[in-house]
Amino acid sequence: MTATLTQSGPAQEATTSPRRPRRRSSGDRVGRPGVIWAAPAAIFFGLFALVPLVLVAVLSFTSWSGLGSPQWAGMANWTKLFHDPVMLKSLWLSVLLTLLGVVIQTPLSVLLGVWAAGYQKNRAVLSAIYFVPLLLSGTAISVLWRALLDPNFGLPSQLTWLFGNGNLFGHQATAIGVLVWVAAWQYTPLHTLIYQGAARSVPHVLYQAASIDGAGTIRQFWHITLPQLRNAMITSVILMVVGGLTTFDTVLILTQGGPGTDTTISAYYMYKQAFQGFDFGTGAAIGLLLVVVATIISLIVVRVSRYDEMRSVNEGI
Amino acid sequence: MQGRTWVLRSAAIAGAAALGLSIAACGSSSSSSSSAQATSGTFTVLVYGDSNNKVEQAIVDQFNKTSTVKAKLETIPGADYQQKLQTIISTKQAPDVFFNWGGGSIQQYAKAGLLLPLNDMVKANPKLKSAFLPSVYNTAVIDGNDYGIPMRGTQPVLLFNNQNVLKQAGIAGAPKTWNDLLNDVKVLKAKGITPIALGGGDQWPTQMWFEYLYDRVAGPGLFEKALSGDSSVWNSAASQKALSMLKQLIDAGAFGSNFDSVKATDNGSAKLLTTGKAAFELMGSWDYSTVQGIDANFAKNDLGYSAFPSIPGGAGNAGDLVGNTNNFYSVLKTTKYKDAISKFLTLMYSDTFVKDQLSIGNLPTTTNTPNFLGQAASPAYDKFQYDLVKAAPSFQLSWDQAYPPSASNAIHTAVAQFFDGQIDAKGFISAMQSLPSAN
Repeated sequence: MTATLTQSGPAQEATTSPRRPRRRSSGDRVGRPGVIWAAPAAIFFGLFALVPLVLVAVLSFTSWSGLGSPQWAGMANWTKLFHDPVMLKSLWLSVLLTLLGVVIQTPLSVLLGVWAAGYQKNRAVLSAIYFVPLLLSGTAISVLWRALLDPNFGLPSQLTWLFGNGNLFGHQATAIGVLVWVAAWQYTPLHTLIYQGAARSVPHVLYQAASIDGAGTIRQFWHITLPQLRNAMITSVILMVVGGLTTFDTVLILTQGGPGTDTTISAYYMYKQAFQGFDFGTGAAIGLLLVVVATIISLIVVRVSRYDEMRSVNEGI
Repeated sequence: MQGRTWVLRSAAIAGAAALGLSIAACGSSSSSSSSAQATSGTFTVLVYGDSNNKVEQAIVDQFNKTSTVKAKLETIPGADYQQKLQTIISTKQAPDVFFNWGGGSIQQYAKAGLLLPLNDMVKANPKLKSAFLPSVYNTAVIDGNDYGIPMRGTQPVLLFNNQNVLKQAGIAGAPKTWNDLLNDVKVLKAKGITPIALGGGDQWPTQMWFEYLYDRVAGPGLFEKALSGDSSVWNSAASQKALSMLKQLIDAGAFGSNFDSVKATDNGSAKLLTTGKAAFELMGSWDYSTVQGIDANFAKNDLGYSAFPSIPGGAGNAGDLVGNTNNFYSVLKTTKYKDAISKFLTLMYSDTFVKDQLSIGNLPTTTNTPNFLGQAASPAYDKFQYDLVKAAPSFQLSWDQAYPPSASNAIHTAVAQFFDGQIDAKGFISAMQSLPSAN
């Protein structure tokens, strides 16, 4: 992700080349940020992201159970992974869960965020209540929902017309449904917050001009609010994608990857291989594969959304 | 220019501050390590962290009263124990003595030459072996070497029942044979009661059914052979028979339809039993205290328990048990305190130890345990268990503990999928055949 952002720097300057000289002259006067300004972040990123990543890459070519020193295993872990049906399924499941998360959480949080940005009565109280899930830890939320959805003593035992025999964790579709539902319950408030902030910063003059032109609330939403939220939306979607691909705690507590391996997503499979099966080589390979897939997906999002040439939505106002 | 000097200066200050901090840190750490060396010596005892630790601490305190070499108890909270142990055991932070489950949980450490065979200690003091029930002690014997001393209570898997529910359904008592169980299932199902509670969401409770079916039908030898690398036994006629009998039980609706969503770890399956929504549960002996925690009166008056039914015509003895035989203390080869540790281990069959374990509901497996059973929290239950364990011709360690840890995922997935109907007998057999072997 970060690599893409820094790479996109020159591209951005190229597209806005006509304005380049002016910017540079003003920059010189203020004192251009030197390399040293980037040092704290770069050192931090290098130490806690790049170095571990390289180590994981090395580890993925070894066989190591945590005892003694890792033995060189060549491509063994990788060939095993590519012939492992669970691995391929887990990648697909990760992507599916992420997609469902984006599709369900985005409309919800846009609507809630725009509503919360208004100045209605009750708004502050209701939003405050609504943000409560944001204050709970992911583990607490998962434990809570696990208890609520217990087939014999939770909601399903009372609402049999809706849940049938309550075997929510016994079928792939319903188990995925539960995961998506809990993730939405947990994360929609965060994204609502992002949209609320963005909606608040939409200039009022736009709405005033639109209502003078006779545009109603819905038209204003479609033609002013939504386009103005574009940058916020990209930010939010990227957060959802990254968060979705690395989801772990909800799966660990709610489904444990079951039924069978039907909700074993890649991050959970990595954990099982490395920390339950003590096969750190394979675990590292899965981790690296997840990094590669996540990078590709992030690149696609960046490309499609034109994040790399993002401009102010307030241009011309 | 001014900006740049400011940056340099602040960087220098920050660097100096960081250095100062690290120097301070060095100072404190070196002083603490020197103070540790000043005492005549301390060995660490690493234990799975849970409510049993108070007894372990009491034993350590008792040892320290008389010994010049001191013991120090360290705990790792529950679920993370095996992971953390594995990451430190071959490092300098490794403990001298550590808690384990015997079998597969220490096999790879033994093979890697990390563990001290206790044979010499046992030769010097034969009670270290003879004071324990053999079926339990043998779990920590690997390739003829003794590697562990039992240090907690035994946990055989038993068939619990709700006596009220059985009475109401007109069932005389716990099933003695497999056919009794099948009949009970039919009767209970007709009454709208889930015959057997199963925490399928945790997967390991499902595994217990396989362990007993395989033992009763094929005898304990089949699993032993499989464990030692002969994977062909999974395809034997006895194996197929065990699976088909299990399939028959599942298809009869014995476990209800939503066992995949029920967990044992959040007491879901135990609650089914106590509330009368289910009649039976196959669970480790700790289920007694789980049930006690949910409903103490129920545990006292209405909770029934029995050994797993016999299967006439099967190769296994009806007295065979499966479960966790006990937990063990193993000793690392690198320790400098062998003599002190051998003295420490003799406390594991002392009278105080047995009394303390019984008082918190554990059932020790020492030969002197029966002397104190009267003082146990639930004497009848403990006596029942003790007699079972003592008489058991075979006490099979749970499959996922007997195999090396790398196999446990595959075992759990296979048993769960077989119960779900996601794989058939053939699929189960091939899953078990592709397990990493213990050797």
